[in-house]
Amino acid sequence: MGPLAPNEIISENTNFLLAFFIGIAFGWVLESSGFSSSRKLAGIFYGYDAVVLKVFFTAAITAMLGLLFMSAFGWIDLTLVYVNPTYLTSAIVGGVVMGAGFIMGGFCPGTSFCGAAIGKIDAMVFIGGLFIGVYGFAFTYGWWEKLYLARYLGEPKISDKLGLSDGLFGLFMILVALGMFVVAEWAEKKFPREEY
Amino acid sequence: MKQLKLLALIIIPLGIIIAAMPADKVNHSRLTPGELLQEAGSGVQFISPDIVADMLVRKDPSLRLIDVRTPEEFETYSLPGSINVPLSNLLSEEFSDILNQDAYTNVFYSNGSVYANQAWMITRQLGYENNFVLEGGLNYWFGNILSPESPSQTSPDEEFARYDFRKSAAAALGGGGVVSTDAASPSPKAVKPPVTAKSKKKPSGGC
Repeated sequence: MGPLAPNEIISENTNFLLAFFIGIAFGWVLESSGFSSSRKLAGIFYGYDAVVLKVFFTAAITAMLGLLFMSAFGWIDLTLVYVNPTYLTSAIVGGVVMGAGFIMGGFCPGTSFCGAAIGKIDAMVFIGGLFIGVYGFAFTYGWWEKLYLARYLGEPKISDKLGLSDGLFGLFMILVALGMFVVAEWAEKKFPREEY
Repeated sequence: MKQLKLLALIIIPLGIIIAAMPADKVNHSRLTPGELLQEAGSGVQFISPDIVADMLVRKDPSLRLIDVRTPEEFETYSLPGSINVPLSNLLSEEFSDILNQDAYTNVFYSNGSVYANQAWMITRQLGYENNFVLEGGLNYWFGNILSPESPSQTSPDEEFARYDFRKSAAAALGGGGVVSTDAASPSPKAVKPPVTAKSKKKPSGGC
């Protein structure tokens, strides 16, 4: 049955319409979880607030369980679900650049729009920087192309590399996530910070 | 901490359930009986004998003919290059690599098309792709491909073209010796294009 758009159960336009509503819901959840504050986001790097880790890992685990169960019930064909292809070098370099920007700016791209939507000036400045980065990369693409496309791995799955079934790896991920939540809560107590 | 315990209480059992499921069940969705019925009824599994004959003459390497009749029948007569997978042994371990693959176009055949169709249904239900059924089976093959009947004078050009093709195919495939006597045999069906699974668009874009 699913995914809906690749199987042409819904049209491309309906797909965009659904994406629009899901996007609004996503922004609303981000805002109400406090993600529009750069202090909250930076907290993950200093240990006083791990809500970023908790929200995103809970979301990932929920989505993973949902997809695995829907696949088991025959509701979705996972081979048709888009997976970003892996370019190892650019994933590492991009991760470092994004992480540094995250610490310095206190936002990631999604949350900066969330912050700008409720009138945060720092979020708007962050978005300005984001566009400078995007256009800067696009206009100098020739310089980076070799680095950008280096070490292409296709669409690998960690479960395949380890020889585990998807379900077993899913259970493993759940245990890892819960372990991280426990550590995060310990850190929040260990490095408390009032008034942020 | 209370919330964390609640979360753990929910997601750990779900994780254990999904980990305990057989891997092929998680990865490959099976068809529901309704979907299978719809597919079987629409006839997408059939591949026309003319196309198979053409592939055989051209020695198309992607074609793999699978005889689902008994080994005795297979010994007596089989299509050139075909292999024998008796219907009763269809699920045996030694044939799973043959039936579950994406390199060849597997074409099941039997005397009619009933047994071949059964084989297709079972493999389709298992989620295997690239398996087809020779339309009309060997009976139609003998009567129409190996000993084609010349069309009447008033037939459209395409029937003459098909007759010429079948005659040359029959010569190449070692037929032509059988004399057709029954003038009331069914008129040849229109040539169907090869049936392939409906191509699905690969989505693009990420977050």
